This record gives sequence, structure tokens and C-alpha cells, in this order.
Amino acid sequence: MPYYRWRVPEGSVPYDTRSEVAKAFTDIHCGSTGAPRSFVHVEFAESADAPAGERYFLDGFNRAGRPEEVKQALLSDLLDSFVSITGVDKSEVGGRINEGPASWSMEGGMVLPEPGEETEEWYAHDGVAAGG
Amino acid sequence: MAKVQYDCTMQEGQIDAETRARLADGLAAVTEQALGVGAGEISVSFSDIPQGFGFRGGEPSTTSLVRGSVAGGVEQPVRVELMRAICDSWMEISGCTVDDLVVTVRDA
Repeated sequence: MPYYRWRVPEGSVPYDTRSEVAKAFTDIHCGSTGAPRSFVHVEFAESADAPAGERYFLDGFNRAGRPEEVKQALLSDLLDSFVSITGVDKSEVGGRINEGPASWSMEGGMVLPEPGEETEEWYAHDGVAAGG
Repeated sequence: MAKVQYDCTMQEGQIDAETRARLADGLAAVTEQALGVGAGEISVSFSDIPQGFGFRGGEPSTTSLVRGSVAGGVEQPVRVELMRAICDSWMEISGCTVDDLVVTVRDA
């Protein structure tokens, strides 16, 4: 975690743009939460029948325990970033961030810490080099 | 409906069909041991993320995700034991490293 999954219309977001969005999301999430970069997952799933008004939809899943204003600011920054990078009209973009207990997940062989309880050992496990 | 369900997502082209079958058997075995449920109460499904559609840390991902759910829930020490056993089994069968695997076991 976090896991960000975009549902997008088929063929609408080319690879280079997907890559740029993934990098931006990693920057935004890590800047907001302090999480190691290697824990940020971004997936794109193409759909042929996305509903109008939400043709581009972000389903995020994060560790529970952050203040509501932090969560809302994070979602807003992520959606704004997507709109800025892709050029998609904001009226076609929607999203939400669901949450679950950190202790339900294991990543890098470690049970995820609750937000604010991260240890140096956890940060040392960042197996993906910072890409900018 | 199975008591324990696993949805496994992997990057396209990384794990072949024969290995998936062994991974499913491994998941069933460690689940039976940790939770005491029979093989008939465990379901495992696999799906692929197409190449170029999965990223981790802003780079192309090589990570597999095992998302488990346990009907009725599970105590945290047992959950941790199960997640560790899943990691060990998955790494042994697939040859991946611990950094290429995310495991979640949630209450359902």
C-alpha cells in the first residue's frame, strides 16, 4: 500500500503518459505521507464501458489512520495531477480513496506500520530507487 | 462461497500456468495449516496486469499481489503467521524476492 488503480477508456492513456502519472503519484503520495517510494503502486485498467462523468476513475487504497483533511488533500492533488498530465477534462475524472488497517498487509516481508509509527527499518526497505 | 478467497494479481508474462497451479496449491496448503480449513473452503484466482500498465515507485512493476479475505475474520497473530507463510511459499515456488510480493489478508 498505497495502491492506486485507474480505470480509463481503452487506448486513451499511452504508455509514456501512464509512466508520467505513476511518477507524479509517487512523488505526491510520498510528499504527503513520507512513505517509501517502493510502496507506491499505480495500475491502469482499460474499460470499454466507463460511465459518463467518471470515464476516468481513480480507486485508491491506503493505510487507515490519517486525518480526513490529509486524505482529501491527497485525493485532490492526485486528481489534479492526472488532469494536468493527461489533458483530460476534469468533468470526466472521479476518484475515491478507501482505507484498511495497515496490519492486514505485508510488504517486503514486513507487516505495514500504522501511519505515524514507521520505523527506520521500514524506510531502509525501500527497494525501488527514487526516480525523481 | 469459499471461507477463504485469494485474488492474485501479477504482471503479465512473469508467471506461467504451471507455476500458477503450484502457487495455488501452496496457498491452499499454508491456509489449511494456519486456519485449519479444508481445501474445499479455499478459492484462488489469478489475473494479469498487462505489460506497461503496472508501476511501483514510479517504475515498471515486477510485483505480485496476493489479496486474501477470510470470512468471519482472523486474529492478528494468526494473520501474521499466515501472511509470512504465504510469502515463504510464494517465493519458494515462483523464485521471486520478498520485495516483489505484497500480501494482504483481510477480514470479510
